Amino acid sequence: MEPDERDDIVFHGTLQQLVEKVERGEMVPKLQASHAPMCKFFTSFYVISGIRHVVPLVHGPTGCPLWVSDIVRTRECCEFRGVPLEPTACTSLDETNVIYGGEGKLLEAVKEADERYHPDLIVILSCCCSGIIGDDVESVAREAEKFVHARVLALRSEGFGGDFRSGYEDAFELIMDLMEPPKTIRKRTINLIGARMGPSLTEFSDDLDEITKLLHEVGVKINAVIAGGCTVEEIRRAREVELNASWCYDWGQKLGDAMEARFGIPYSRTGQPYGLKATEEWLMGIARPLGLEKEAERVIREETERIRPDLDYLQRTLEGKTAIIEISEFPGPIRALSLARMAEECGAHPVVINVHPYTIKERMPSIKFLLETGVNPEVILTKGLFRLGSFRSSRETERELEGIVSSFDDPIFFGNAARYPGCPVVNLTLLNPVYLPHYGFRGIHNIAALLRQAMENQRLPRSTLFRGMLYGNETS
Amino acid sequence: MRTMPTDACLDPYVRCALSGAAQTALGVSDSAVLAHAPQGCNYLVDGAFSWQDCDYAQTTTLCTKLCEDEIVHGGEELLARTILEAKELDISALFVLSACGPEIVGDDIVAVCEDMQPKVDFKIIPIECAGFRGSQYDGIDLALDAMLRTLAETRPTIPNSVCLVAPHANANPTWMADLAWVKDVLSRLGVQVVATLTHATPLSDLADVAAAEGVLQLSHDAGYRAVAYLADTFGVEPLCAELPLPIGMTNARRWLTSLGERFDAEPIAENMIADGERMVTETCRRRWPMARFFYRTPAAIVADATIGIPLVRFATEEMELTPALVALRSANLDAERLLERELNELGLAPQVVCGTDVYTTRRSLEAVRPRVVFGSTIERHASEGLDVPYIFEVVRPVRQFRLLNREYFGYRGILNLLECIQNEWSDRWRSTQRRYAARW
Repeated sequence: MEPDERDDIVFHGTLQQLVEKVERGEMVPKLQASHAPMCKFFTSFYVISGIRHVVPLVHGPTGCPLWVSDIVRTRECCEFRGVPLEPTACTSLDETNVIYGGEGKLLEAVKEADERYHPDLIVILSCCCSGIIGDDVESVAREAEKFVHARVLALRSEGFGGDFRSGYEDAFELIMDLMEPPKTIRKRTINLIGARMGPSLTEFSDDLDEITKLLHEVGVKINAVIAGGCTVEEIRRAREVELNASWCYDWGQKLGDAMEARFGIPYSRTGQPYGLKATEEWLMGIARPLGLEKEAERVIREETERIRPDLDYLQRTLEGKTAIIEISEFPGPIRALSLARMAEECGAHPVVINVHPYTIKERMPSIKFLLETGVNPEVILTKGLFRLGSFRSSRETERELEGIVSSFDDPIFFGNAARYPGCPVVNLTLLNPVYLPHYGFRGIHNIAALLRQAMENQRLPRSTLFRGMLYGNETS
Repeated sequence: MRTMPTDACLDPYVRCALSGAAQTALGVSDSAVLAHAPQGCNYLVDGAFSWQDCDYAQTTTLCTKLCEDEIVHGGEELLARTILEAKELDISALFVLSACGPEIVGDDIVAVCEDMQPKVDFKIIPIECAGFRGSQYDGIDLALDAMLRTLAETRPTIPNSVCLVAPHANANPTWMADLAWVKDVLSRLGVQVVATLTHATPLSDLADVAAAEGVLQLSHDAGYRAVAYLADTFGVEPLCAELPLPIGMTNARRWLTSLGERFDAEPIAENMIADGERMVTETCRRRWPMARFFYRTPAAIVADATIGIPLVRFATEEMELTPALVALRSANLDAERLLERELNELGLAPQVVCGTDVYTTRRSLEAVRPRVVFGSTIERHASEGLDVPYIFEVVRPVRQFRLLNREYFGYRGILNLLECIQNEWSDRWRSTQRRYAARW
């Protein structure tokens, strides 16, 4: 059955057409209870905790910080990221504070945090409680600074106050307040912006390592990765650079634009370095304004030569194929769209499945940028995406995916191994560090390796155990 | 010396009331949980999901995803609409939990649930459990209270029966095994379990709970209010109320003896004790754990009260350690009195901290300088630089993944604890560097 003849498809068109529908409000999901991404507070917290020796001081009850701190303290902190146990402090607001206000308690908490943890920076994060009762966190921050050694800033990050995008955008904007007027301009030095790599559950560092390595080979120095384990001192000196470049366009774009508008620091606008062309663009976008074009061309030439067999394999294998890219099973929608571009560059026809309208709405600036750069793949949304409940949704989308895949000739699925579409599965999960990074030249090598193992092993049986775990014992 | 953090800046161990209430509601099978909250709070409900060992194929969580509009204009209409959305789910109950935002702006979830009840086929149970109402243990109490008041009905007493309260207020990462041990013991004593509040509990069991002759509280952190309500309202008799939970030889013996006496099953209880103690001793003789030379080494116990209080005796008697610090995550007067009795009986005078937070734990460890810590991954990191050679990770969160449930209660529980201690002991002996490289 052709995709358009299926009754489980609710949208079939281009990314551009989907964006237009979302802008007109046509695709906004009716089910309020489905699809709940992180709130503004979470993403604010993630960005702030990417600064070293910072106390993110949550002005709220114990529940808000504890979701993130459970991760900070266990999986992510000292075990995975090599960072020390960091505080996830809060004012632990109770009923009395909600009635009478918690500003006095907050002031005391700032003093205690300074005395206990000796931080360079304390960021007060308001949450729903303190936001609704009207505690003036900015004034408390200003007042508290008189009593403590650390800088004290306040961020209005109430969970109801915006979507997850507004959280990190506001956090990056706040960080700008720490940036001091430049004493000098450091030649061939940049900031990498848009990262969130603290002790909390955010990005894995392999992609950052790859682009950092490439920049060093070109002769570019990095002042700070904001906020990927940078120090307050590095942020203070962030205006001494010649250029800003994004580690992740989606998260970096607002800070890049704001620093350009406020401080006049140019910003290299490029997508994520997935595949050869995007990697070239990313690297040249930095090298050109710094006068390092020749060095960058040399690095690109040498690296391209080194991975030539991988590039040839990708081209040979993907030519004429349909690359089915399922966004909900991919490590991030922008990454999935970046991969769609890479697949097209290798001769495949990309078809993107199940990019949630919420995702389009929340990431509109980044998606519009990708459209401007020519990324406009075919998009299919299925009914299952809008089902209530994660199990029902994933079981139905699995069934729909299997049906859709069977309607294409020579399909290859790009997503992760939690899908069973009956065609080769390129397992692009970030949870298998053996095949990271995905960025840059090493990324091309890894994606080629993942494609090779998908193609060469496609006849091997899939796990009925894991399939049953995910979708129950009958899906088709 | 007993201390308690009273500071404005806390780095707490336990989550908020919403989280505890969600843990409790998710223990009722064939139901769904709707958080009337901004979308971030729904992550707390998701965390509670794994705590109750829910199967995502059978349990659904929903959220009203409140935004600024609902905070300004109220979210009752949105709540009503979302309850109607849940009509498509095949459930017998929907628990509606309110978070901080809607409670502060005055959304009346009880009234909305009453209005919507005639329009749906499932039972709607509102639980007002905003995060600011207290800790996750307070949330468990709030949820149990709402369930009992809404659902429990007067029933004829079933002889030789009990209900079990708050098995999930237990920081053993696989506390379900503790519950399973209790159920097995009761079954062998000829005692029927009428209801478990809560874990995989059918809704109908909640209505029958008052038919139980006795109530067994399986936590020292939560459940006191529910036990009191059942006793006062329905005359259900609290059992083993003055005893630490059955971790370690003595605690298990006392607990089993008490139950045996109460249900006229002393010989069965005595046999269970004799068999259990023999099994533990013989297993140790065969496997020969080497981690048994801690004689009077100073130890810290940093845990919830449920595991922490019984561990005091286990550490002192079975392991021959000397508890020098007992830091409990919760602060509950009943639990504190129980701990005090235990310490007096054992002749111990450790530093005691109730309602500890991570900062206080670190400072207490720094002051006491124990050589052994019973705790979690948090204490492993929090004791960095303090020269603590052994961290026995026994309470949540632990680094080691467990696919199978392991109890601490009872006799296999003793072996599980010994296994954990032995593995940490072996790790401590690992050489961090090679003196020379092999030739092959």
